[in-house]
Amino acid sequence: MSGRRFGSRRGAAALVLAIGLFVGGAAPAADVGQTAPEFKALALDGGKSISLAAYRGKVVYLDFWASWCPPCLTSLPLLEKLRKEFPSDQFQILAVNVDQDTDKARKFLERTRVGYPSATDPKGRIPETYGIETMPTSFLIDRNGVIRYVHHGFRKGDVGPLRERIKELVAARKK
Amino acid sequence: MLRLAASLLLALPVLAASGCASVKPWERDVLARSDMAWEPDPLEAKRNTHIHYSKEASLPGGGAGGGGCGCN
Repeated sequence: MSGRRFGSRRGAAALVLAIGLFVGGAAPAADVGQTAPEFKALALDGGKSISLAAYRGKVVYLDFWASWCPPCLTSLPLLEKLRKEFPSDQFQILAVNVDQDTDKARKFLERTRVGYPSATDPKGRIPETYGIETMPTSFLIDRNGVIRYVHHGFRKGDVGPLRERIKELVAARKK
Repeated sequence: MLRLAASLLLALPVLAASGCASVKPWERDVLARSDMAWEPDPLEAKRNTHIHYSKEASLPGGGAGGGGCGCN
């Protein structure tokens, strides 16, 4: 009787473990209040490699985009306009392109020129680290490297509230 | 023997399910292509839904996950 009970307990434990292996595989996402995970990646235009650490001391809008994602393509020219509204020593946009076929992204940037750098990450290591749940996703990072806001998706009307958040962070002094 | 067979029977679906991989949001490049959508032509799909509703007095299901960009 006790042997059977022990067996059923073992069975239940195995079941819980099996479910845990299936469900618990998700990586923890970078969230508001956390330090933005550092990364270094090749530039999409073939230039110098890009690292987040190089932007410490400035407010950074970190944008994950892909050429197959229509809202991402809407966002790029609008973000470029937004970038120009702030001094470059105070605010920067840093993009991470996640196209597996990087030529598609390069061709898009040839048509829609932006003045901010794009890193390329075709294997998706950086979005994995950041726990991206939808495309596009962007992180507004303060001067101390702390994530202050996460923006999911993109619509034209998002620029206004975003501008206000950036203004607030630019006005805040570095600790 | 029976217990072993039962264990194998239970293990099989677990092994089969472990072969399923979820597509991450940044990996939807191919799925985002218009020919991968369940309804590549939205106008045609709307027309078909309208005909179905008129004839059956019920709306068909709204499709299923899989194709598309998955954006916004």
